[in-house]
Amino acid sequence: MAILGELATELVSMFAGEKRLTLAVLTLITAAALLVDFVGLNQLIAGTVLLLGCPVLLIESVCRSARTQAFAARAQSGGK
Amino acid sequence: MNWSIAAPVVSAAFLASLVEVVEAFTIVLAVASLQGWRPAATGTVAGLALLASVVLLLGPLLSRIPLSSLQLAIGILLLLFGMGWLRKASLRAAGVIPLHDEEAAFATETARLSAQGRRAHRNLQWVAGITAFKAVLLEGLEVVFIVIAVGAGRGLLIPAAFGALAACALVLAAGIIIHRPLSRVPENTLKFGVGVMLSAFGVFWTGEGLGIAWPGQDLALLLFAALFLAAGLTGASLARKRSMEFA
Repeated sequence: MAILGELATELVSMFAGEKRLTLAVLTLITAAALLVDFVGLNQLIAGTVLLLGCPVLLIESVCRSARTQAFAARAQSGGK
Repeated sequence: MNWSIAAPVVSAAFLASLVEVVEAFTIVLAVASLQGWRPAATGTVAGLALLASVVLLLGPLLSRIPLSSLQLAIGILLLLFGMGWLRKASLRAAGVIPLHDEEAAFATETARLSAQGRRAHRNLQWVAGITAFKAVLLEGLEVVFIVIAVGAGRGLLIPAAFGALAACALVLAAGIIIHRPLSRVPENTLKFGVGVMLSAFGVFWTGEGLGIAWPGQDLALLLFAALFLAAGLTGASLARKRSMEFA
């Protein structure tokens, strides 16, 4: 049973290791789908939103993690 | 076979599998060095057999799913998985999180198994076998996902599987020759490159699944990869600056 638990944890961490990034990417994909299906926007514009949005989300996630780590390190060292 | 799409598929499967197989090999080697090759080989074969059954079960099921739905589902999963790898590789490149160290992983696993051996000597062969089994299963799961994800969207499952098998053979051969953890494999560079490729495939197939006809078709993958490479490098550079500012 423990192995099944570890397997499930591994599966979740494969796709949702960083929850905020996962949520942001899923939201972006939903927005692109809505632009195509409901707003009737040109497919290429929706594609561009998806294509440019993902790298922006990646950079934001990397910077946020770096900032969080640096704050945590500073707090550990007594804020000096 | 169209090599403009098959080449990135095979190389993504090969490089991603290389990273995962190196990690699994380190643990199997730790098991073998403490308890001999028998539990290590038994656990490895059992893990591989389970993974092979997953592939054999999933393979026929995938062919029943309409191509656009399959591309959308796989595209989304690839995007999440690839961007996760790229994020972690950027943070490691920036020095925000430590690089994965195979020698350290080997030492940790050896110490953990030795401690378990002192507590329950009779069951140690079993514990060692289960450890090898778990390592192969957990790391192999990612290999199976990558092979299916990069191969299924274009009917290239077999070439992708060959890419993964080539990585296994290479790690095994190198491991047999040097008989030590493969710590000189540039794991983070590989992870960075694979993250770029998987993210590019992810956007491509998510878009195709949504009905977007990308200009230039498969060649668009090159532009997507260049964008993710630039994003990963920019992220790493900004992260390095941020951590220096706040440190």
